[in-house]
Amino acid sequence: MTIAVAVIGAGFAGIGTAIRLKQKGIDDFTIFERGDRVGGTWRDNTYPGAACDIPSRLYSYSFAQNPEWSHTYSASAEILDYIDSMVADHDLARHIRFGREVTGISYDEESGEWTIRFAGRRRPVTARSVVMASGPLANPAMPDIRGRDDFAGHVIHSARWDHDYDFTGKKVAVIGTGASGVQIIPHLVKQAASVKVFQRTPGWVLPKVDLETGEFTKRIYRSIPGAQRLARAGWFWGHESVALGVVWDTPLTRAVEALSRLNLRLQVKDPWMRRQLTPDFSAGCKRLLMTSDYYPALQADNCKLVTWPIARIAPEGVRTVEGIEHQVDCIVYATGFEVSKQGTPFEIVGVDGRVLADEWAGGAYAYRSVNVEGYPNLHVTFGPNSGPGHNSALVYMESQIDYLTDMVVHLEHNGWKALDVRAEVQERYNRDIQKRLASTTWNSGCQSWYLTDDGFNSTMFPGFATQYANQLREVDLRDYRIRVHADAAAPAVGPTVSVRVPTRG
Amino acid sequence: MAMDMDRMLKMIKDRQWALADIDWDAPGAELIDPELHARLKPFLSDLMWIENVGARGFAAMAKKAPTPTLKSIYEHFHAEEQKHANAELALMRRWGMLDGDEIPSPNVNVQLIINYLDKYSDGMSLSFLGTVIPMLEVALDGALIKFITDEVKDPVAQDVFRHINSDESRHLAVDYEVMDILGHAEMRKLLADFVGGWLKPSMMIGFLSYMPLLNKMRDNIVDMGVDEQKLFGAMAKYKAVGSRSEYARRLPMFRLVSLHGSWVIDRDNLPYHLVADSLVKLTAKIPFGLVHRTPTWSQELTYEPAA
Repeated sequence: MTIAVAVIGAGFAGIGTAIRLKQKGIDDFTIFERGDRVGGTWRDNTYPGAACDIPSRLYSYSFAQNPEWSHTYSASAEILDYIDSMVADHDLARHIRFGREVTGISYDEESGEWTIRFAGRRRPVTARSVVMASGPLANPAMPDIRGRDDFAGHVIHSARWDHDYDFTGKKVAVIGTGASGVQIIPHLVKQAASVKVFQRTPGWVLPKVDLETGEFTKRIYRSIPGAQRLARAGWFWGHESVALGVVWDTPLTRAVEALSRLNLRLQVKDPWMRRQLTPDFSAGCKRLLMTSDYYPALQADNCKLVTWPIARIAPEGVRTVEGIEHQVDCIVYATGFEVSKQGTPFEIVGVDGRVLADEWAGGAYAYRSVNVEGYPNLHVTFGPNSGPGHNSALVYMESQIDYLTDMVVHLEHNGWKALDVRAEVQERYNRDIQKRLASTTWNSGCQSWYLTDDGFNSTMFPGFATQYANQLREVDLRDYRIRVHADAAAPAVGPTVSVRVPTRG
Repeated sequence: MAMDMDRMLKMIKDRQWALADIDWDAPGAELIDPELHARLKPFLSDLMWIENVGARGFAAMAKKAPTPTLKSIYEHFHAEEQKHANAELALMRRWGMLDGDEIPSPNVNVQLIINYLDKYSDGMSLSFLGTVIPMLEVALDGALIKFITDEVKDPVAQDVFRHINSDESRHLAVDYEVMDILGHAEMRKLLADFVGGWLKPSMMIGFLSYMPLLNKMRDNIVDMGVDEQKLFGAMAKYKAVGSRSEYARRLPMFRLVSLHGSWVIDRDNLPYHLVADSLVKLTAKIPFGLVHRTPTWSQELTYEPAA
């Protein structure tokens, strides 16, 4: 039996897609999740201090607002609870199949269906549409350091935290000082006997003012939904204005840097340490770090910042190029994720046997970050060039979800076989995106996970979140090649065919 | 043919050694006779601090590197100079020259250079740093290490200095390559860079610190009973190797550093040596406490292979 929609992944994107599908009257869908519970990256990232650096009011769906957020910026457990509550509120549990790791999908032109294969299961599933909601932050990245497997002590990756390991009295090395590193380190410093922080590149750090939300405020949010929308809009436009300094290199970028330098100056006394912690790239080129307790933790008596390059990992610790072996009991890798800029998480075979990973070998691309020509009815959440540098990922995700679920509705309601973006439309779109990216901070010369080794930017969207959302506001069917089943009449697609599908609920 | 910097970086990473690779308790320490022992301590202290100065120079150069690969190379060189200093400290420890956890102080002239680099090196251009640091490396480091390998029979020291020498040969290869790259710039830009650099009042402080340092080290070498020609030979090498590249020759700062080097090694250049030696005498009168600073980067020295 063929289902209407197969959603791969039960993280934020998968759950959001499911809610919107239901709200638009599509109930024939299944979410395939390789883990044993929902939550995606928030299920995996449970390290001490794990929290979002976008305010919760904004880091949540506008169609599933939550008046109960306890702080301005929520910790991972609370975000996970929120995802659970969405599953419960929208009766999604019956749509989710856990323990289903997708190994490959392929398109059959004849039937217009996708076949989805799973690890350890002989029977594949067929679906008319597939939503790739597997997310960019799904697989932990381990750094390419010599002798990494030689270490005889305990090893933990931030995205697979070992809650049974007791850090009390232990000597710990933390490799990586990105978004997760700066959250973990202050907690480890409180617990461990000593913490050595191995930094390769310092990031721009801004203070994070994380206030508790009082009961009175929550009551207002509960009773007046408009108040929540207003607060959310305030956060949205506040972040949106930051784009002027973070997305493009402008005088505002210097202002962000000045604020960060002032923060550094106020929090770190030693000039050499300040020098070690001062980035030499434009703010925004890499992800801005939001933390108020990282610098104090680095200066704690039991903490040491090590900026020497790592020569290798030895059985007893980390050897750095100044010739010293930093012996530790445990190495914590806060080295982020394998963000796919070129490959695909599993084999995707489209029309004429085309393999998406081959086509993306030089850098991934898509139309409006959601569709790729030659892969009909396949939709990607957080696809190529959809990354924000200044605003909530969920704002972007919500637009993608609305767009792709509208396409699913078009397909299902009209009984069409396939919607495949036109090659020339996709090419024009990407030419424009790359042209616009050339003048952004991300392409200003620093190395980051946004870029491929060749410097191609396939991850970020070069503009405001508002611009991103606007381009996805409506599906213009003229951009797509519509295929119909053999016995159906050809559709009449004119300039007025772009119809917003009304939502229920 | 131009150097493949990516290959060089890979080679640097491949050839890493650590203090833990050396058996610091192996026999051979007894080969240092008491007379050499007494002369070696101040000599090694200076050498160790000059390595540290080189380290700070490379740290500043890493900030100016035009490509990520060269930046990474300089970051490695920065750490390697520190490793050399650590290894030299460990040798002093092995030979019983240190009192407990003692880290010997630098001499006044080295301290003046430390103070200068701490304050101004990050503001200097790559063409200035990239021409002066190689001179310090080739002349001081090179000549001093040459002396040690000739005089000290301890096999552990021989092993350590074999490692150091092989690191230094890569440093110099990159140094000359970078001078060659810098020399490709338009003459107008080179001159503007040169004049602009010298217009900074801080440069005079730098020059007044650098000038007596070379003469002071010459005196140290002579005090050790070594022929000053060893130092002079190394300084001449700086000019000879650099001059092989038509592009390095275009660098006004290379010309100046070479010219200055030739003054240093020309003992008949009385006016110069009168000034330089006077500066040595003058700086020797400065109470050490007055100039003594220990910026955090100079406190990273350790003889312990493991931390």
